[in-house]
Formats: sequence, C-alpha cells, structure tokens
Amino acid sequence: MSSSLLHPPAHLSPSVALQLSQQAPAILQATPSSISSYSLSYLWSASETPELWTTYENLMLSCLRTGDEESAHLCLERLTARFGTDNEKLMALRGLFQEAVAQDDAALKKVLDEYEAILKRDPSNMPVSKRRVALLKTMNKIPDAITALNSFLDDSPTDAEAWTELADLYVSQGMYSQGIFALEEVLLVTPNAWNIHAKLGEVNYMAFKATSDQGSDKLLAESLRRFCRSIELCDDYLRGYYGLKLASNELLLALPQASRQKPDGSLPLPSQKTVGLLNQKATSKLSEIVRLNAAGDRGYQGYEKAEIIAAKELLNRESSKVVR
Amino acid sequence: MSKLLDPIPHHHSYGVLRHYATVLMATAPKKQETPAIREQRSLLRGINLRQNANAISPVAFNARRDFLVTAYESGQFLKAPEKKGEAAPNPMSDPAAMDGMMGMMKGNMMMMVPQTLIMGWINAFFSGFVVIRLPFPLTIKFKSMLQAGVATKDMDPQWMSSISWYVLCIFGLQSVFNYLLGSDNAASQTAQQMGQMGPGAGANMFGPGVDPDKQFQGEAENLSVLAHYYTLAGVEERLLKSLS
Repeated sequence: MSSSLLHPPAHLSPSVALQLSQQAPAILQATPSSISSYSLSYLWSASETPELWTTYENLMLSCLRTGDEESAHLCLERLTARFGTDNEKLMALRGLFQEAVAQDDAALKKVLDEYEAILKRDPSNMPVSKRRVALLKTMNKIPDAITALNSFLDDSPTDAEAWTELADLYVSQGMYSQGIFALEEVLLVTPNAWNIHAKLGEVNYMAFKATSDQGSDKLLAESLRRFCRSIELCDDYLRGYYGLKLASNELLLALPQASRQKPDGSLPLPSQKTVGLLNQKATSKLSEIVRLNAAGDRGYQGYEKAEIIAAKELLNRESSKVVR
Repeated sequence: MSKLLDPIPHHHSYGVLRHYATVLMATAPKKQETPAIREQRSLLRGINLRQNANAISPVAFNARRDFLVTAYESGQFLKAPEKKGEAAPNPMSDPAAMDGMMGMMKGNMMMMVPQTLIMGWINAFFSGFVVIRLPFPLTIKFKSMLQAGVATKDMDPQWMSSISWYVLCIFGLQSVFNYLLGSDNAASQTAQQMGQMGPGAGANMFGPGVDPDKQFQGEAENLSVLAHYYTLAGVEERLLKSLS
C-alpha cells in the first residue's frame, strides 16, 4: 500500500490520483471487508489500525476524483460498517459522495437540503457545516457560502482551514481587505506557514493592482515584505521568489513618486537600493531554479510544472524587454 | 465467549475478559455543545493572538486586541453570559463532570471486583499449598514474600506458595496481555494508572471548577499589556544579508 494513501489527497496530481484509484479494486480485495473488535478472529488476525481507515477515506476521495464511483461506494460502505451512520465525519463523507454522483443542480439542491436538515437537528456538527459551505461554493452561491463560513468561524475561531477558505472566497469576490484579515487569522494559528505568508503577499499585490489610491504603495511594500518572509522561512521557495520579483518590479516604478510621509503606525517604505538588490536576487534565483530543474538536478525536482513554466515566462518577458 | 476462553489458562482469560468488559462498559466521550466549543476556542484565539502576534502588522494586531479585550471583559464568548460574575459551580453538581467521574468509577470497579473475587477464591482453595520450587537459591528474607499463607518456619525460601505464585502472575502477565490484545488494551495496568493521574494538561485548562470568566479576564489583561513587535520589520535587509 503506497504511503501517498495516508496523506490527504487534495495535493495529489491527477496522474497520481488516477494511479491510486486504479489500484482500488486490488486494495479493497486485499483488506478484510469487516473488522469487529468482538469476534474470535480479532485475537489472532492483525488488529485494525487507524491507517486502514485513513486509507479507505483517501482511496474514496481519489476514486471520486477519477470517476470510479463503484470503488468509492465500497469504501464508504466499509467505513459505515465500522463507524455507524451517525458518525459526524461519515455524514460529511456520505454527503461528499452524493455531491460527486449528483447529475444536475436539482440533485445538488437535494444534498444541500439534507445538510440543512442534519444541521437543524445538530448545529454543532462541524464536518457537515464545512461540507455545506463547500457545496454552496460549488453551486456558485458565494455570498451564502461566505455568510455560512462566517457563522461557522464565530463558533470556532481557531480553525485555520476555514479561515483559508474564507480568504479564498473573499478574494474571489474582490474583497481584498477582508481576505487579508482572514489570512492574518490563519497566520495567528500557524505563524510559520510560508505558503500563507506568500499568499498574503499575493493578496496584497492584487489589492495594490486593484486600487490607485495614495496609500496603495503601502500594500505593495507589505506584499514585498511578505514574500521576503516566506523566502526567509523556506529557502528556494519558487512562489516566494516569483512574487518578490513581481512586487519589486512594481515597487521600483512606484518608489520615485512615493510620498515620503511617515505612515500611520505601519512600516516605512523600503529604500530604492534594497528593492533593486532584492529584484536582482529574485531574478538570479528564479533563473537558477528554472535551469537546474530543466537540467534534472535532483534537489530541484519538487516544483510544480505550471509554476516552473510561469517563472520561465516571467524571465523571458523581462529579458525581451531588455533586448528591445 | 466461552469458545474464546477455553484454550487459555485462567489468569489469561481473566485479563482478556476484563479487557472486553471494560470496552463494553466504557461510556462514549460526551459531545460538546456549540456554546462550550465557542467559549474554549474564543479563549484559544486570544492565546494564539498573544503568542503569534509578531506575524501580523501593528495595525492588524491593535484592531484584534481591542476587539478581543472588549469582548472578553464583557463576557461575550461565555457559554452562559447571564451567569457572569457568579462563583464557579461546584464540580460535583455539574452533570457533565459527574459523567466523567462515573466512567472512572466504572473502570475502577471493573478492575477491583473480579480481582477481589478471584483473590478470595484462591485464598479459600489454595492457601497452605506449595506449588513450585524456584531453580535458584534465595536468602531467608524472601520467605515472607514467597511463602505467604504457608506458616512453616524452616522450609527453604526456594519453595513458593500458591498465593505468592498468583500475585507474581497477576503482575507479570502484562506483556502477555500486550501481545494478545495490542498494546493499548483496557486490561493494561499502566494505562489504568495513567487514567487515574488525570487527563492531559490541555483538558485541565477547561476542566470543571475553572471559572471561564476569570480565564477571559486574565487573558484580556495579558493581551492589553503585550508589547508588539512585527517580524516583517526589516525582513528585506535580513533576507539580503542571509542571501549574500
């Protein structure tokens, strides 16, 4: 059984997910169909492990992604046989299954009604509340999803996953300052998450691009610093360097016109020289990563293909500008 | 069940039986109501803010601090805001706490009752027997330990009485249970002792007898005196230095 089955499958590439779901029938056959802690065989058969149930859950998600509904249903059945129908997590998983096999909007609406009925009976069912938000998002009812998520976060304000989702929803609606607030809440739970620092940098950059106010330079400086922090926490972080490059490009253009007044409580704008140096570092690092990745260097293979292509594209755009 | 017990000598079967009895009698952990969850996590949010404040800008920190301090002081997050200021309830009168204690009692009874019964039975039938001769010599001091229930003055301490043998087995079979039932079995004595020492510190924080309002007030005070430092101050210089 591959170890990738023990991690949440959200980050799996499509090809790996397909590979896993192709293994599904074999895995399902190899594992016993039911494990009871009260039967005779329990004494000498291998005892059940938490990993087995994680495997079933992740296998089910992979199968749903690739459309193998039969295996997914089998996984769900086995989980239900073990944990019962009224287990909160299983209620959410069953809902997820129904969402996945739903043919049209009417079927999705039915699943949503079911979630609402469950939540009416037991408002503290967190997995189902989260599923409801996800389904609202699927049905493109973003404002409803935001409302639902906000009331969820009022009850559980330390849930980093929910704050991240809320940030995504806000940013998709162009509400950048709310998105920044939500991401800051994530940082308060996980202060060293470099991807969240980079994400904050991205949202600040988007906010800068969307406004043309006087104070927008501050957003840009904040964005630059967030990218710096993400690189400080994680060497060779491609997204961090990419953002640093973009932000420092903009900042080099904006700095000469920027008013040098002392901002209210926030950090002063960085100096032209520092930004220039950072820009150079980002350029050289990005080209190094792209070069070594293409050369097949073993330390540089973990990057996502799309990100490498985007970095190459950014570097090309720059160099063609210089040639002209 | 009898099929299960047959091939195993009685000490084993007793432990196995105890394992299953404990599993059957255990009460499922009680689900917390939403207001209680909200109370705990709102406090945790303040603690998180205090510990990780450096990750956000002074403006963002000040806004959050002002909001949380006001809310904490007004008791907005309490699960029962109308009871704010009253003395903490007696833990004995809290049904949720009583449930936990009943669970512990049940567990203890499961250990005690059969142990007492079997001990009495062994005592009644086997006292005065000598069952085994240890294959190594021992000094006279071991007499009281190894020959409980046998009142002979000049028997060699190598000979062991049935009661002593029983006690030795009860304490020595731990590893056998671990092998048969997995390491986290309910018959495990160490687990039992851990349980008696009380749950982890995390649960203690919100345990019975602690007044949440007092915790909120304390946290509000901690937050309002916190000196804020922003990690992003000078990060571009730091990064340049580390890169060059």
